[in-house]
Formats: sequence, structure tokens, C-alpha cells
Amino acid sequence: MTEHTSNPAENAIVVTDLTKRYGRMVALDAVNLTVPNNTMFALLGPNGAGKTTLIHILCTILRADGGQAFLAGSDIARQPLQARQNIGVVFQEPSLDDRLTAYENLDFHGRVYNVKAADRKQGIDELLALVELEDWRHAVVRTFSSGMKRRLEIARALLHKPRILFLDEPTVGLDAQSRAGIWSYLDTLRKQRDLTVVVTTHYIEEVENCDQVSIIDHGKIIADGSPSQLKHAHGKETARVTPRDPETATAITAKFGIVQTSKDGSLIIDASAPGFADAFLGEFGSRIKQVSFDVPSLESVFLTLTGRELRDRGADEHEKRGAAGRRGRRS
Amino acid sequence: MGLLGGIYAIWLREVKRALRDRGQLIGGVSRPLMWVLIMGIGLNPYFRGEVFGEVRFAIPYTYIQFIFPAIVVLNIMYTSVQSAVSVIWDREFGFLREVLVSPLPRWAALLGKILGGTTIAVFHGCLVLVLARFADVTFTFEQLALGLVYMFLLAFGLTSFGVVIANHIRSFEGFGVFSNAVILPLYFTSSSVFPLDPALTRAQTLVVYPEWLVTIVEWNPITYAVDALRGTFINFNQFNPSLGPIVLAVIAVVFFTWALFDFRKA
Repeated sequence: MTEHTSNPAENAIVVTDLTKRYGRMVALDAVNLTVPNNTMFALLGPNGAGKTTLIHILCTILRADGGQAFLAGSDIARQPLQARQNIGVVFQEPSLDDRLTAYENLDFHGRVYNVKAADRKQGIDELLALVELEDWRHAVVRTFSSGMKRRLEIARALLHKPRILFLDEPTVGLDAQSRAGIWSYLDTLRKQRDLTVVVTTHYIEEVENCDQVSIIDHGKIIADGSPSQLKHAHGKETARVTPRDPETATAITAKFGIVQTSKDGSLIIDASAPGFADAFLGEFGSRIKQVSFDVPSLESVFLTLTGRELRDRGADEHEKRGAAGRRGRRS
Repeated sequence: MGLLGGIYAIWLREVKRALRDRGQLIGGVSRPLMWVLIMGIGLNPYFRGEVFGEVRFAIPYTYIQFIFPAIVVLNIMYTSVQSAVSVIWDREFGFLREVLVSPLPRWAALLGKILGGTTIAVFHGCLVLVLARFADVTFTFEQLALGLVYMFLLAFGLTSFGVVIANHIRSFEGFGVFSNAVILPLYFTSSSVFPLDPALTRAQTLVVYPEWLVTIVEWNPITYAVDALRGTFINFNQFNPSLGPIVLAVIAVVFFTWALFDFRKA
């Protein structure tokens, strides 16, 4: 990000040369990142790209091997307690006490973050209303669905009025309705108060509404900017073509070069050249089953940058290791 | 002030969880009942001995009176060590993270947790004291106050000990096996259920008991916890009365420091 200065006081998050290794594997490779105040920021990347590692380091529960990071002006290595007071975190897995009620979980959080009794009471009322859990105030959390738990965690992370809210894959495992709900809560909140939201996700449609997006892969930030900037800079118009026979496929490949082959056997080719449609259809129009044109989307940006489709996923080796590490992080 | 609020929040959570756990409460009530009513009453008539041809009481107390302070210790031991299960629980179910990302320093979080376990353990110790009347043990308010201080120190030390163990054990099952494998031997070798007759010299004691047993009893720190409570509640000490409070304080400090060391690393 060149358009923002790196003054820690003016930006919600400033990260310089942050590095983390797990043994010989480099999880974060000198990551640089600047997030201005009051932005909706998305960290986009395939599984194992280093998103969760980055979030964990910023939340001060994992120590970096090198580099610096400032949260709302506090150095996370030197003033971790101050940095923590300014952030709210929603982890991938629930971290509620499921034997306590919704109210008790929130009350616990408020006390630990030193929220005054009157503010705590008012904040709990407001936030329970925001996430539509007022009726469940005195229900034990064990009885909640995963969507309700996630909502309660978001409410909890906001109770101490943090300046930065981290959400690590907040919508994974939720149905479409709950996902939409969570985004609408966040929108409402950002209208009400100064809040920088950092969200990791691999649902690309969720990223379209963010102010700034960083794409991370193999522990490196490979692109950042607003969604439209990214589309301009890296997006290509592509055509998805399903040829009738292998000979046609070879011919198309020879002439246009392929960006990628889909699993179903269709080819994705660069369609950004002027007059592409005429030229292509004139030559191959009768030898293809199907063709569709994609205007630049973040999906195609991602494809261009990483050579992978975001949805081609399944927990790979790296992510599994991360998950195991999360369970027993003590050794 | 903020720090106290945070410690209080963690303490409150521990206490709430423990009070909602029916099983633990039932254990806390049934264990002392069993020991007082069955062991105590059953063995009461046999608690007198013949040493070197001379028939006399081993000590000038009934057996129920003799084991009563030890039952207080037993109940505290079980509850303290059990309360550390919540450490494993928090780690497994993610709640630990909520605490780790909070602005509360690690030592305060740990202190709140251990004080919570300590409170419940002292409470379970008090459940035994309710039975004092049936054990024919009477004590003044001052004795009770001093007893509570000792009980608190013991509970604090043992809860810290439990947390240390929980930090090194990953599973609930492992912890259950462990606690039974450690609590009962410690309890039985603390001169809780049989006295080492203070009227006898060490040489004479060794005639009555095998040396290994006497040595274990003398090295077992719980021995001095039991002795301190006996001195307080029935005015009977088998060892130097000043040893009890010292050992209790040392246990509390050493294990808390150890637990803190482990937790900081986490």
C-alpha cells in the first residue's frame, strides 16, 4: 500500500516484515501490510496461505520470528496488553464457555476487559439486540446452534469497544441466511462506531463489499487494493470454453494459450484482446459445445495471481498442521 | 482495580461452573459421610493398643476424633486436584483463547483460576466440618478461623499442583487415572488413618512399623497438613506444631510459582 503513510498512529494496523516459521516451513514470509482506520479489510487466500497464522500473531497468541506489528499504535511485542485491549477477536473455532449462559459469557468478557458496570450492562443489551439473541440471554450456550454461537462471539468481541475486530473465517460452516446476517451486523456496526474490521475468508462474494483486500498465498501478500483496483490491475476477461474433441482443445491451446484447465475439461482462455469474440467464434464456433465469457471478478483476479481457483479446496497438509497446532499449542 | 475485576471474573466463572456440577457436589458430601460413618464408627472400638505389654490408648482421642481432621484434608485434596480438570477443559474447548487474547496478564488469569478452585475446595472442607458434632469434635471460633487459614493454604497449594499436572496431561481420562493414583497414596501415608505414636521414640516406632512406611510418612508433605489441622481442631500434634504451617506455605508458594512458569510458556 503506497497511498497510506506507515505512521502507526494513523493506521489501525501496520505490519512490517513479519515472518513466522514452523520448523523448515515458512508460514509468513516478510509480510507487509497497512490497514487504515475505519476500513473493512479482507485477507483472502487459499487454505494454508498463512491467513490464520497472521491473525494469531496479530492477536498476540503466537509469537513472530521476525518483523514488527502495530495495532492501533501499540507494538504487539512490547505492549501486548495494551494491544489486546484495542482488539476484539472471533476465532475460527468457538471459544465460549458453553456451561455459562449468553449473558454470563458476555459479563465475564466485560469484567476481564475492565468495562465499567453501567457500560457493561448497556453494552450487553445493545449487542444482544444487534445479533438478535435477546430471547436467549439466559439460555446456556451449550444449547445454541453454531450460527448462534458465532453471533454471540461477535457480540462478545465488541463489548469492550475495540478499535479493531478480527474475524477468522466468521462465516464458515454457517448456512446462507446466517452468513448474510453476520455481514449485515457488521455493516450496522460500522455505521455506528469507529471500527476497523479484519476478516479472513475464502468466500469471494463476501469480499466484494470490503474497502481493501489483500491476497495472500504461500505466506506472502501478492496483491492488495480495493476490489475494483484489483480487478483493474489483475483481472482479465476470460472465456470458458468446452471443446467438442481433444483436437479442438489442442488447437485452441496452440492459438490462444490457456490460463487454466477446469476439472470438467473446459478451458479457460484469455479473452481480453480486442475483437476476441469474433475471431474466436469465427474459427472455433462450430467445434465447441459451450462458451461463456467472464468479466473481471475477484475470482479471476485470484486465479490470475495464484494459478488456482479459490474454491478448489480441501484442507491440505499445511492447514491440518495448523489445526493440530491449535488444539495443543503448549509444547 | 481493573486487574481485580478480571481476577474476580475468572474466579466467579470457576465457582459457578463448580456449583453447577452436581456430581462434584455429591462427591463432596458423600465422601466425608462415608469416612465418618463407616470407617470412623467401624474402627472406633479398635483404636487402642497394647504396646510392650501395657494396655493403653495409643492417643487420648477416639478414632473418629483422630481421623476427622484427616477427612477434611481428604475432601480438600480431591476437590482441589479435580478443579484443575477445568484447565484441560478450557484448552480442549477453546475458552483458553478468550483468556489469552484478553488484556489480563497471565499471572492474574492463573491466580483467578486457582483461587476459584481453592474456594470450592475450602467449601468442600467445610462440608466436613458440618459433621464435627457427629465426630464429637468441638472447637472455638478462633480454632475454626485458624483451621480455615490452613485449609486455604492447603487448597491453594493443591490446586496449583493440579494445574501443573493438567498442563502436562492432555486428556481427561489421563487426569482421572492420575488423580486417583496420587491422591489416595498421599492420603494414606500422611498418618491420616493411623497414628505414629508420639510417645514412642523413633527407635520404638521402627519396632512397630517398617522403616519404609515411617520414612514415607515423614517425607509426605500432606502429613504436616493433617498434623496442622489436628493441632487446630483436636489439640493433638504428632510432630513439631510449627512445621505444619511452614510446610503448607511452602507448598502453596512452590506450586503456584511452578504453575505460573508453565502457564507463561504456553
